Amino acid sequence: MRETRLWSLHILVLPIIAVLLGAHFAVMHYAPVFYGMSVEKAREFSTMIERGKSITQLVLYILLLAAGLYHGMYGVRGIIRELPLTPTLAKLVDVGIIAFGLFIFALGTYVTWWTYSYKIGG
Amino acid sequence: MTDKTITPREITFRVRRYDPDVDTVPHFDEYRMHVHDGMTVLEALHQIKAEKEPTLAWRSSCRMGVCGSCGMFINHLPMLACQTQVLHLDSDVVTIAPLPNYENVKDLVPNLEPLIEKHAAIKPFIIHTNSKEIDEPTGEFLQSVKERESISQFTHCIKCGLCLAACPTVATDPLFLGPQALAQAYRYTADNRDCGLHGRLEAIDIFHGPYQCHLAGACSQACPKGVDPAFAIQLLKRTLVLDSIGFGKKKSSLAKVMPLADVVKAIEEFAPPPRTVK
Ligand code: HEM
Ligand code: HEM
Repeated sequence: MRETRLWSLHILVLPIIAVLLGAHFAVMHYAPVFYGMSVEKAREFSTMIERGKSITQLVLYILLLAAGLYHGMYGVRGIIRELPLTPTLAKLVDVGIIAFGLFIFALGTYVTWWTYSYKIGG
Repeated sequence: MTDKTITPREITFRVRRYDPDVDTVPHFDEYRMHVHDGMTVLEALHQIKAEKEPTLAWRSSCRMGVCGSCGMFINHLPMLACQTQVLHLDSDVVTIAPLPNYENVKDLVPNLEPLIEKHAAIKPFIIHTNSKEIDEPTGEFLQSVKERESISQFTHCIKCGLCLAACPTVATDPLFLGPQALAQAYRYTADNRDCGLHGRLEAIDIFHGPYQCHLAGACSQACPKGVDPAFAIQLLKRTLVLDSIGFGKKKSSLAKVMPLADVVKAIEEFAPPPRTVK
């Protein structure tokens, strides 16, 4: 894969992160301003489950998860691969980063899905 | 240059010494010397060698900022010794060390091989699809003044390697192509007579290529010829991104060939004015 494509994606996901992380901050830190509820209330389990029922939220959170993970993992790969590594170690770092990213993505998606499909009251 | 009053005076030179046959680690030797107005660091080194330390080693040639041989770390900044006047450093102690980010061969001599290897890797020459015209030219490839101006500053590189010595990425990632090679990759790729981008991809579109530039801009500050390699790297990124999504500059109508007869006519038109002194 051309490095240009990998790097372009690292930059292209930034608008997604900026908008969705902004919205995420609005929910988590500015709930009194946007939703008229306290920050504590906004972070309560029951409120979270209630929010999680929305299909829009499900899609947007998975999108933020993918965008943030790709941006972050590409960035971390860059930091590690700047160290003097043998070609084998460099390959290992690439494979390790991909595996770790996919694992976190699967876990995050599972959690988001779990919230979405959680049956209130059992 | 600053117009501060420059008083000729005694200056202490702290010169880093290293002889791989004798020393395990480098050390600094000090030489005190009277410095006159206009004296360059290179002249001071010559005087030290002539009068105090005949074994002192460094590399230099043209004495006028053209050959790019005398790059050194002068008062902790990469500079050409021949272009740096001692009194302009505004310091009574001048520390001279070999360029960082290169292996130290001896005293002030760096091993510039990585610079040359990286430069060669990006194919620093015009690549043209019409190889017949290259091998048996029927004329000259046309380049307008505007086309030339768009790459002009990048053609001034003298391969002195100061930019690599200044680059913080090269310091941690020796495989990073670095500002010199990447700026030259842009210089040739952007040349209207060149259509070699795809031939260079294998060398430049890699992890250790332009995306490892984190915009410190130290290369542009260090360049003694006023080249802005950091800017060239950003332009190279744009070229690569546009090419990767199919919006690269189409160069099929590349550089028209001007027949030799017309070249001769053009040269006559632009002939210099007649001599005023016999
Ligand atoms: C809207 C918010 C963000 C913006 C505008 C942004 C912008 C950038 C840019 C431009 C770079 C490239 C820097 C370079 O190549 O020198 C970068 C690198 C990086 N980003 Fe972000 N980023 C954002 C959010 C995040 C988040 C949320 C994370 C963590 C998940 C993250 C992790 C990283 C990492 C690890 C690097 C590599 C750093 C390096 O190479 O030194 N960024 N970011
Ligand atoms: C102190 C700051 C933060 C708090 C309190 C917080 C809290 C939460 C909570 C409670 C959820 C569950 C969903 C919900 O109730 O809406 C969540 C999900 C999520 N957050 Fe954050 N968050 C914070 C910062 C961030 C940052 C900086 C990022 C991105 C770089 C991020 C990315 C995500 C993603 C992708 C999800 C959904 C994926 C999943 O559930 O695995 N969060 N966060």
